[in-house]
Amino acid sequence: MESKSLHRRNYSRRNFLAAATALPLVPPAKAAPETRVALARCQSYGPHLVPLLGKMFDQIGGLKKLVAGKTVAIKVNLTGAATVRLWYEPAETTYWTHPDVIGAAIYWFGRAGARRIRILESFAEGTKPLEEEMLVAGWEPADLLNAAPRVEMENTGFLGHGKRYHRLMVPNGGYIYPGFDLNHSYEECDVFVSIAKLKEHVTAGITGALKNLFGIAPCTIYGMAAGKDEPAAVPHGGRMMFHTGYRQPSRSAPQENDFTSPREEGYRVPRIVADLAAARPIHLSIVEGVETMTTGEGPWVAAGRSRKIHYVRPGVMIVGADPVATDAVAAAVMGFDPMAERGTPPFETCDSTLALAERHGLGTRDLARIEVVGEPIRNLVFPFRNYT
Amino acid sequence: MWVKLARLKETTVRSDLVPMRWPETWQDGSKFDLLRGTPINCLVGDRPPELPLGELRFVRLDPASPPEGIVLVEGVWPHVKMARRDPNAAETGPTGAPWVDSNGWRIRLAQALNPDKTVWLTYMPPKQDEIVAPAAFALAVAEAEAYGAHWVITLEENFRRGLDEGTAEAVEAWRKIVAVLKLGASSADWRRFEPVAPLAVVSSFAGEAEFLSQEFLNLADRRGLAYAIVPSSRALEARLERYKAVIYIEPQPPEGPLRAKLLDFAASGGLLILPEPPAKATAVETSFGHRIYRHGKGRIAAPVEAWADPYLLAGDVHLLIGHRHDPMRVWNGGMMNTLYLASPDGSQGVVHIVNYSLRSTLDAVTLGFPRTYQSATVLTAESATPVQPVKRRLGIEFPLPPFSTYARIELRG
Repeated sequence: MESKSLHRRNYSRRNFLAAATALPLVPPAKAAPETRVALARCQSYGPHLVPLLGKMFDQIGGLKKLVAGKTVAIKVNLTGAATVRLWYEPAETTYWTHPDVIGAAIYWFGRAGARRIRILESFAEGTKPLEEEMLVAGWEPADLLNAAPRVEMENTGFLGHGKRYHRLMVPNGGYIYPGFDLNHSYEECDVFVSIAKLKEHVTAGITGALKNLFGIAPCTIYGMAAGKDEPAAVPHGGRMMFHTGYRQPSRSAPQENDFTSPREEGYRVPRIVADLAAARPIHLSIVEGVETMTTGEGPWVAAGRSRKIHYVRPGVMIVGADPVATDAVAAAVMGFDPMAERGTPPFETCDSTLALAERHGLGTRDLARIEVVGEPIRNLVFPFRNYT
Repeated sequence: MWVKLARLKETTVRSDLVPMRWPETWQDGSKFDLLRGTPINCLVGDRPPELPLGELRFVRLDPASPPEGIVLVEGVWPHVKMARRDPNAAETGPTGAPWVDSNGWRIRLAQALNPDKTVWLTYMPPKQDEIVAPAAFALAVAEAEAYGAHWVITLEENFRRGLDEGTAEAVEAWRKIVAVLKLGASSADWRRFEPVAPLAVVSSFAGEAEFLSQEFLNLADRRGLAYAIVPSSRALEARLERYKAVIYIEPQPPEGPLRAKLLDFAASGGLLILPEPPAKATAVETSFGHRIYRHGKGRIAAPVEAWADPYLLAGDVHLLIGHRHDPMRVWNGGMMNTLYLASPDGSQGVVHIVNYSLRSTLDAVTLGFPRTYQSATVLTAESATPVQPVKRRLGIEFPLPPFSTYARIELRG
C-alpha cells in the first residue's frame, strides 16, 4: 500500500531511500511559539555591561518571574585550557565567556531574587575547582562569587559535590543518546542558563548557547578514560566518543540508540548537542560576541585549516529565552543563514545544529518568527567569512 | 711534548670549565679552529687527543671519580616525545600537556645536594639509527645553561660529518650552540638568585623516597608548580618562612628537631604537607586527597591514602597550595619549562624558558606576574629585545617576541 502510494507520486525506490535518510529520525515537534531575542551593540567589556544586560533582560520579559526564589545554574564556556591563548589575546577575549559578562548576569540574577546561583563548567582533565582554572587564566574568582549572594562554582566533569550522577532523558528518545548521566548540579536547579561565546565551530557550524552544552557531559563517563562499566573517579581526556563514536559511555549510563548510525563527526556532534539541550533544557541564553575569534572554537583549530584564525571585535550581545532563536540570531549576526542546511555555510561539513534542535522542539531558527528587540540584525552583521 | 703538556693539564680542574667530548676521529689540529672564540675550554674523553691543546684543558670522565669541583649527572636527551601513531604529533601525558623528557629538575637537585659544585650532564645523543636534527644539540646545550650547568657537548656522527663538510645546517647549529654558551656565560649575576616559589620540597631524595620525591620534582616542573629543593640534611638551616607550603616526602614523618621545625612552620601560618597526620589531631576537612588539620595559625595536610602516584601527588599539592600563589604564569608554554629566580631584595628577576619543540614559538608566549616589574629584556641566542609590561586583572604580563630553543628574560623592578 505504501509502495503504491509512493509510485503515484513518482517516487522510485532510490528516491525514497534518499529522502528517508534526509528525514529526521525523530518526528518534528509542533510549531514553536513566537519568541523574542534582545540584540545590542556592545563595543567593550567593563562595568557598563551591568546596565546593558539589565536592559536586555527587561526587553525579553524580565528576570523576576524566572529566577526569584530559585536555584539558577549557569553553564559558562571555558573550553580548552587557561594556558592556551590566541597569540597574546587572553582566553576571555577570544574563546571563553568573558568574566564581565558572567559577573553582570550573576548580579542581575541576585537582584531578581535568585535563591542560589551556581557557575558550572567541566574540564577534560582532573578535578580542579573552577576557581583554580580562573586564577590560571588571570581572573579573580572572588569578583564572580561576590557579584550576588550565595554564588557557588562547581566543576561538573565528575561527581563533584554530588553523591551520584543524575539521569536526564531526552523527551522524544534522542537522535544519538536516549539520555545522559550528569553531575547533580544540572538536575538540582530550577533555572538553567547558557552563557556562550559567539564563535564558529569546526564540527557544529557555530558555537552558541546550544553547543555550549557539549561541556555538561562528565568526562568520567563520556571522556577518553571513562570507566567501562562504571564512571571513572577522575576525568582523563576529552569527549572523543561524542565525535567519532569509537566507544560507548560507561555501561552504567544510557548507551547509544543505534550502534550502526554514522560514526562521522559532522553527523554526530550536532545531534548530540541537540540531545543534550533537550535533556537539559535551557531557560535563558546569553551569547556574547564583544570580542572573539573566527574560524573555530579555539586557537587549537588552526592546524590544517585553510582559513587563518582572526581575533575580531563584532561588538554584540544577544539574549533570549529560546536557545534556538538566540543562536539563530547569533548565526545571522555572523553573516550566516540560520535556515541553512548541510553543505551551506556555516554547516559545510556538518548537519545544522539549529535545525536538529528545532526538530527536537527546542525553539525556532526562523527569523520570521523571532522578534528581535533592541538593535536590528542588519545594523550589527559581522560577516565571519570575510576573514579568510 | 704536546702529550706531556696534556698530561700536566689533566690535573688542573676548575669549576668554570665548559666541556666538550672531543671526537676521537678528529685528530687534525685545525679542528681546534672550531673552538676559537667560544666559551668551550675543556676537552673530555677517555684519553686526551694527540694534539697540542694550548689553553685547552683535558679532563677524563669517570663517574666513580668525578673531577674536582664537578658533579656528574647522567641525565636524558631532552626532547618532546612524539606520538607513535603520528611522528609529527606530540605525545601527551596525563596532564594533557606534551610529554617532555627534561633535565632541569635533575640539575637543580644535584645543585641542592652539592651546592659548591658545577653540574655536568654526561648523557650521549640518541643512537645513530635515530635522526637527530643539529638544532637539537643547541637545545641540549641551552637546557643545561638555563639551569646553571653544562652539558658535555657530544657531536654524533651526522653532525660531525656535517661540520667536516661545512653543510649549512651543521654550521648554523654549531653557531647556535656557541651563541647559547656565550649567552649562558654573560651576565651571570642571576646565578646567585633564589627560586621564586610557594613550595619547599624537603626530602632525602634517596632510598625509599627516591622515586616519589624525584618524580614529584619532574612533574611539578611540567605543571608549572614552582618549588625550592631543600635536602633533609640541610633543612634545619633552611629559611622556610619564605614559602607558603612545605612538603616532606619520605615514607615516614619527620622526627626530632626537623619535626619541631616543620611544625613551627605550620604553627606560624604555613601549609605543611606530611606523609601521615599528626597524632591525636582531628581533621577539619578533606581536600584534594588530603585531610586537613588546624595547627596554630596554619594547616597540616596528610593523605587520605598513602602517597604512591607522583602525578596525583603533584596535582593535589598544586591545588592544596592554590594557583593564587603561582608567582608566575606562562601562556602558550606547553612545550616549555621555566625557572623563575629573583635577587634577594626582589628588585630583579630572571626567567629562563627552555623551548623543547625545536621550533620557533608560533603561538606567542606571555609571562604574567602578580607583582610589578617596570621593564624586561628578552635575551636569546640571536637578539636582546626590550619588552614593556601590560597591565592585566591580576598583575602584569610581558608578551614575549618569538624565540626558539631558549630565552632568558631579565626583569627589573
